[in-house]
Amino acid sequence: MRSSRPEAAHPTSSNEYQHLAPLFDEFAALPPDDPRRSEIRDELVTGHLPLAEHIAQRFSGRGVAREDLVQVATVGLINAVDRFDAERGSDFLSFAVPTVMGEVRRHFRDSGWLVRVPRRLKELHLSISGASTELAQHLGRAPTPSEIAAHLGISQDEVYEGLEAGNAYHSMSLDEVLSGDTENLALGDTLGEEDAGLAGVENHEALLPLLRELPERERRILGLRFVHNMTQTQIAERVGVSQMHVSRLLARTLQRLREGLTEQETE
Amino acid sequence: MVRRLHLNVGEVNVTDWDPPDPRERSDLGPGDIELRLSADLVNLPIVRSVVATIATRADFDLDAIADLRLAVDEACSTLITRAVPGTVMTCRLTVSGDALCFTGDVQSATGTEPSTKSFGWRVLTTLTDMVNSRVSSNGQHYELNIELAKRRAVEVPGAGV
Repeated sequence: MRSSRPEAAHPTSSNEYQHLAPLFDEFAALPPDDPRRSEIRDELVTGHLPLAEHIAQRFSGRGVAREDLVQVATVGLINAVDRFDAERGSDFLSFAVPTVMGEVRRHFRDSGWLVRVPRRLKELHLSISGASTELAQHLGRAPTPSEIAAHLGISQDEVYEGLEAGNAYHSMSLDEVLSGDTENLALGDTLGEEDAGLAGVENHEALLPLLRELPERERRILGLRFVHNMTQTQIAERVGVSQMHVSRLLARTLQRLREGLTEQETE
Repeated sequence: MVRRLHLNVGEVNVTDWDPPDPRERSDLGPGDIELRLSADLVNLPIVRSVVATIATRADFDLDAIADLRLAVDEACSTLITRAVPGTVMTCRLTVSGDALCFTGDVQSATGTEPSTKSFGWRVLTTLTDMVNSRVSSNGQHYELNIELAKRRAVEVPGAGV
C-alpha cells in the first residue's frame, strides 16, 4: 500500500507514477555493471520529472528564479532515484518528496542570504531598492542615501543599514524575480559592437574569448558600462533590473575577467 | 580566571611593524581613513566595503558608490598582483568637498607602471573622474601607487544634506 503522505504533498500524483514502480524492482535486481541500469535510471528520472517541477513550483516566488529551482529539484530527484532502496518496502514518492524538498531548501540556504539577515533588514533592503528605482526615474540619475531616506520617511542610518544588508545577499537575489524575465534582451542589437569598442585595448585578444564565455546579459551590461559609458542606473532601466543588481553583476563579471586574464598571463 | 591566549607577546615577534607613537601628530584630516593590509587578494572585500561605507556616509549617489566600489576593487587588484608577496598595501581615503579620493601603495617587484591601454585601466578611467599611477624607487625597491578620485554627480548645497 501507498502511504498517504505523498498524496498530501502532491494530491494527484500517485497514479501518475504508478507505471514506474515496477522499474524500481527491475533496477534493484540488476547487477551494478549492467548497461540496462543507466537506461532504467534515465527512465525513472525522466518519468518523475513532473514531481520535481511540482516541488519547484511550490517554492517559486521566493527570490530564486524558477528555472534554477527546477534544476535543483531535478538534482534532488536524481539523488532520490539513486538512493532509493526498493527492497525496504516503502514507496518511492514518500522517499522522493522529502529528498527533493531537502535539496531545494539547501539551495535556498546556500544561495539566498549569505548570512542570516533579519527579516526587517530584508524588507528594508527591498523598499530601498524600490525607492531608488522610483527616484531614479523621477530624478534622471541615481538617488543619494539622503534622498532615499527622505522619500521613505526613514533615517539615513536606516538607509545605510538597508544598503549594507543588500551586500549580504547573493547575486541571485530577489532582484532577479522582481525584475521578472530579464533574458528578453534584444540579442542582435549590440552584439559585436562591444568587441569593436574594446579593440583599442591591448589585451584585446586575451579578452575576447573571455567575453564570449560570458552570459549574454553580463556581456551586454559590461558593454553598456565600459564601451557605451552608460551609468548603472541607465543600464538598469535599459536592461530591466535594479541598479543594485547591475552593480552586483558588474562586480562579478569584472572579477571573472580579471581572473581569466591573470590565468592567461601565468600560463 | 582570565583565559590567556597562547601567544606570549613578550617573546613572539608578532610583526616587525612599530605601532605609531600615539603622541605623534596625525597627518590625517578629520575624515581621513588610512588602511594597512597585507597585500593579498583576500583583503579586497575589506577595502571595497570601507570605500562603500565612506561614500555612502558622504551621501554620494548610488551609482557613484557602486562605481567607487568597483574602481577600488580594480585598483587594489592591480596593486596586489604587482606587490612583492608578504608586503603591505596602504590605502588612504579622503573626502574633500565634492570628491572622494583613494590612494593605494604597494612595494612592487617591477618598475613598470600598469599599462594605460589595458582593459583594467579602461575600467578605472570609466568608473572614476581621475586616475593616475606612479612608480618610484628608493634604490632598494619600487613603490607602485594608484590614485583615483570620483566627484559627486549631485550638487548638494552644503554637502551631505
